[in-house]
Amino acid sequence: MRKRFDLLIYSWAWISTFAVFLTVSCLLWFLLSRGLPTIGKELFFGDASAWEAISGQVRVWDALWPACVGTLSLVFLAALMAVPLGVASGIYLACFATTPFKRILSLSVELLAGTPSIVMGLFGFALILFLRNTFFPDANTSLLLAASCLALLILPYLIFTTQAALESLSDEYRLIGPSLGLSQLQTVFHTLLPASGRGILGGVILSLGRAAEDTAVIMLTGVIANAGLPHGLLGKFEALPFRIFYLAAEYQNPAELNSAYSTALVLLCLTGILYGSALALHKTLEWQWNQH
Amino acid sequence: MEPALTQQKPFCIIKNLQVLFHGKPVLQDINLTLTDSRIIVLVGASGSGKTTFLRSLNRLNECYPGYSASGQVELALSGTMENIYQAGLQITELRRQVGMVFQSPNVLPVSIAQNINLPLKLVTNLDKKKREERLVEVLQEVHLWDEVKDRLKTRASHLSGGQQQRLCLARVLALQPKILLLDEPTASLDFKASGRIEELLLELQHRYRIIAVSHSLGQARRIAGKILVMKEGRIEHLLNKTQFENSEMLQQLLEEVL
Repeated sequence: MRKRFDLLIYSWAWISTFAVFLTVSCLLWFLLSRGLPTIGKELFFGDASAWEAISGQVRVWDALWPACVGTLSLVFLAALMAVPLGVASGIYLACFATTPFKRILSLSVELLAGTPSIVMGLFGFALILFLRNTFFPDANTSLLLAASCLALLILPYLIFTTQAALESLSDEYRLIGPSLGLSQLQTVFHTLLPASGRGILGGVILSLGRAAEDTAVIMLTGVIANAGLPHGLLGKFEALPFRIFYLAAEYQNPAELNSAYSTALVLLCLTGILYGSALALHKTLEWQWNQH
Repeated sequence: MEPALTQQKPFCIIKNLQVLFHGKPVLQDINLTLTDSRIIVLVGASGSGKTTFLRSLNRLNECYPGYSASGQVELALSGTMENIYQAGLQITELRRQVGMVFQSPNVLPVSIAQNINLPLKLVTNLDKKKREERLVEVLQEVHLWDEVKDRLKTRASHLSGGQQQRLCLARVLALQPKILLLDEPTASLDFKASGRIEELLLELQHRYRIIAVSHSLGQARRIAGKILVMKEGRIEHLLNKTQFENSEMLQQLLEEVL
């Protein structure tokens, strides 16, 4: 009986893992088979030459380049705002906050995490309406606004993962710093953070991916279909997930639909590159910690 | 190196020490004077307050929520006896002078050298050259130097359990403590590695005052100069060598306690 039960659990675990693998493979194969044929210079730069497009001499129409730049700047700006804030909040919650205060703070972070992204977008949109009617009649949806709303969206991921990574360290490990005569701040920065670096980095990666793929927030806060390269922080912009959405919803011929697939493939590669560089960063940091 | 420790002067006087967590007493009515410079070993059933007792000597209990305490603990740190619970005492300096090694080897996730160098850099104001000298000194002191001298820059976690524990000991010794607290330092090690740590402690007892918790009676008898027997948060017995070398008497006492 016992043996049969074990076998059942074992097979269930095995089948589940295989199903995940199979799903991801199918998805990738589907994307590759539909998207790969259209990937090329034309997809990225349209009629313009690569150099002219990259250096911004020529405006690119109906191609991915502006959306790539838009998404990268969005992710970069959102991370710039959210990562320091989120990681610091996580450190505070895990290492410094006292119990009653910690409970209130954790609850508000959970609330923020439970907020659907479209609500974040609406919030940004409402903010612009408010600003227009009060202090800045010229305020408009823009790259900066979208990035701020995205930052708000990914903040709870960063806080949770940082807090969890720090709190998962063993009690004895947490005592090393104090037992060696390190101050609380030294303990956090020199013993606890290096040990939980991998977990925190995981949170950063997850949130970067989340920021890159979200469509609902940016739809209400400044993305448009043919903005070209982003015109500064207060300008409109294009973004990959929105382009996928737009192409898939309003394509006029099979070629356009296929270019939606290749755009999805590009977005996937882009997040892959983000993950890769985050890992490389972690390796460098580890190397630095090991130097005298 | 310190001069040989004197045998007569007390180095630890505890008066009416009581430690509570969330209002529940963990240590009660501890009154104790320790004079011996040989290793003092704490034994007792799990939950009898051994670890809490050890941590009350470097005030590490305060890192846990719900802690409160009363009473007085005096330690001989800078020549004179000092109440370590007095207001205004610099707690980081106390913990540097009362070093602690834990049950499982807890190396930092950095290189072997950096494990010793980092606390030295943060806690003392030695320059780089002095720190490097100290590094070699303490690694030799724990007999780890020959095993690691060619790979000081590799990760400490790649060492074996016994080596890691000796590295943790070296990390503490580098800060030149007066008293060493060891919380079951061999609990997670195999027989051979435990033996090496025991030998090492017998060497170190001439240079440091050592108070160790042990889970093994055999070990306690091998390394102790005195045995403290704890039960339900109190010190039940303080045995000297002649008492615990009489195995019948020891057995009797322990059966009554454990």
